[in-house]
Amino acid sequence: MIIRMAKVEIVGPKQDLLATLDLLHNRGIFQPDPQLLERVELARDDRLNTLVLNEHELHERSYFQGLYERVSILLELLPEATDAISPLQSLPVMDLVDELVDQHLAKVSDQDRILTEYRKEVEDLQRDLAFWQALEPLLADLPQDSNLELLGITIRDTRQLQALEELLQQRTGGRCHISSTTTTDGVLIGLVATDRRIAGDLRQALTDERIPEMSLPAELANLTLAERIAALHERLKTATANCRKIETQLLELSRRWRPVYRRALVWLEERLTLYRATATAYTTRLCFIIQGWMEQSEVPALQIDISQAFAGRVVLEQLAILEEDLDQVPVMLRNPGYFAPFEILSRLLPLPKYSSYDPTPLLGLFFPVFFGMILGDIGYGLILLIISVFLAKRFAPQQMASDIGKVLGVASLYTIFFGFLYGELFGNMGETWLGLHAFWFDRSKDILPMAVFALTVGVVHILLGITLGALADLRRHQPRKALLKLAMLIVVLLSLLAVVSWLYPQSWLNTGPLLIGVAILMPVMIAAEGLLAPLELLKTMGNIISYVRIMAIGFSSVLLAVVANRLGGMSGSIMVGILVATMLHAFNLLLGVFAPTVHALRLHYVEFFSKFLDLGGRRFEPWHKRPS
Amino acid sequence: MEKVWIAFAAALAIGLPAIATAWAQSRIGAAGAGTLAEKPELTGVIIILVAIPETMVILGFVVAAMILLM
Repeated sequence: MIIRMAKVEIVGPKQDLLATLDLLHNRGIFQPDPQLLERVELARDDRLNTLVLNEHELHERSYFQGLYERVSILLELLPEATDAISPLQSLPVMDLVDELVDQHLAKVSDQDRILTEYRKEVEDLQRDLAFWQALEPLLADLPQDSNLELLGITIRDTRQLQALEELLQQRTGGRCHISSTTTTDGVLIGLVATDRRIAGDLRQALTDERIPEMSLPAELANLTLAERIAALHERLKTATANCRKIETQLLELSRRWRPVYRRALVWLEERLTLYRATATAYTTRLCFIIQGWMEQSEVPALQIDISQAFAGRVVLEQLAILEEDLDQVPVMLRNPGYFAPFEILSRLLPLPKYSSYDPTPLLGLFFPVFFGMILGDIGYGLILLIISVFLAKRFAPQQMASDIGKVLGVASLYTIFFGFLYGELFGNMGETWLGLHAFWFDRSKDILPMAVFALTVGVVHILLGITLGALADLRRHQPRKALLKLAMLIVVLLSLLAVVSWLYPQSWLNTGPLLIGVAILMPVMIAAEGLLAPLELLKTMGNIISYVRIMAIGFSSVLLAVVANRLGGMSGSIMVGILVATMLHAFNLLLGVFAPTVHALRLHYVEFFSKFLDLGGRRFEPWHKRPS
Repeated sequence: MEKVWIAFAAALAIGLPAIATAWAQSRIGAAGAGTLAEKPELTGVIIILVAIPETMVILGFVVAAMILLM
């Protein structure tokens, strides 16, 4: 249901504004609405103005903002050593934090820069090592010649290697040799051996083709391959050790100071939120005024809190909600036990307006019934019941999965109930094996009675929707619209009775007077609502006919189950038959969960709710402290 | 011969709306997939939107059933 809201005004001396905002922030039950104050009129010399902070407050705000930014940067740089937040009182340690944060920031930034350099060096060395280690076997195949120049290259793919081979043979007149291999991390690399005298041309050709040559620091360039690999190992060891050392130092610092800085950050955030909140307050020469919304039931408690905290200087008063406020009232939905899980279905829609209805209880009442009417099978219902109990119990801490389990549980109970009425247990298996008979309709045969039943459900549902719409209009003080809806309801009823009397003539039901009633009401409706009135009537009729899907989808579900049983029986082997039937029933059950859910929801969202629900409400979002 | 015509009429009654539904669902489905890429929270609404054109094929089914049964 939609929780009753109160429009409240808080008034007090200007100097108590920040403390009042702090109290409201701590209680977390008040949503300010500065737009409400635009309509307030005061005496000429006592006009409302938006709040302008004084010099001291502005200085304090910019000091806290600067500190907040520095602490945020420091926390980003510090590694996540602990999630703890220090229980320290924040305000007394703020001066200390201000003093230390610059020292720590300088130290951590410096260490972070050095660490980045070391990490890059480790990465480069690892790549170099992989490269030269992979080339080692290729080098062994080459002749030992002092005139030989060796170039290590990285190649994109085998196609590039082929093109490169052709190009280099062409440029060097066949005086070079390329061999290739793959490194441990899957990179294709090559070793080009050529005459030292034409190595310059070769390098130019590689540059032209944008093929990177693996370069080494100058001090390693003249070493033999074995010495080169050993030197790279040594360097990698040193760089890794340096990384570890700095990481340990940063972790130690983080373990000691992160909780303190996190506490300071939370406090600073709250303080800055308060300053930002002052934008929602208006002031006169001496007072501040805040207007906003809160839950009606919380008003007395907050009145007492404010009165006690400020010794009567600040006052909270409840104001009347005016008609022009109705679209602005924030909406909060809260439903008792049985209905609460059905909020997962109503949340798929935008919020209703304050003057409208919460669709959740209606979904809670009708959705499982429609689901049961469509699926209607004892066997499927029992399986769904087991699944729903599992979901509700196994995922109890996860609200959504648990809610889905509960909704499915109620829907499965109705599925079992309608399964008894239709005499279905895995299609016709109950009839064949257990002699189960339909108490009401045999859906596989009684197509027309089932269609009439589905349409009757549609008539009741739609007429209920129109009645609720008329009541909502009355609540919004729009009697003309309410009367039109009632006229529509009567026209729909008369039209339907006329159709019934034509199809199934009864001595007490004459088509003529019913049509005369429609003929009298239609011009009235056209006069009141224009040419849209007949269209609306047609739309309503279409909405009612749409309920025939309850029969149609149910019928297809029964036939699929019967086909599953027949195919299972036709296989000739018990095991194969059971397997085939199980697979087809599993498929049917999957469809049986999806199709009734989607169509039962559609009947609500499109057909039923369009008759009375006014969507587009604002969510109630009270100020509250961020959980730390 | 009459039976053939009745069966043909029933097939048309469900076949044509089925094609129309498939076409409508393909358009809505494609638009819905695009929407979900940007706003995954609209999954429920998109599923409902995709199901809306099914009314056509359901009504076609009812008409076909009535042609065969009446």
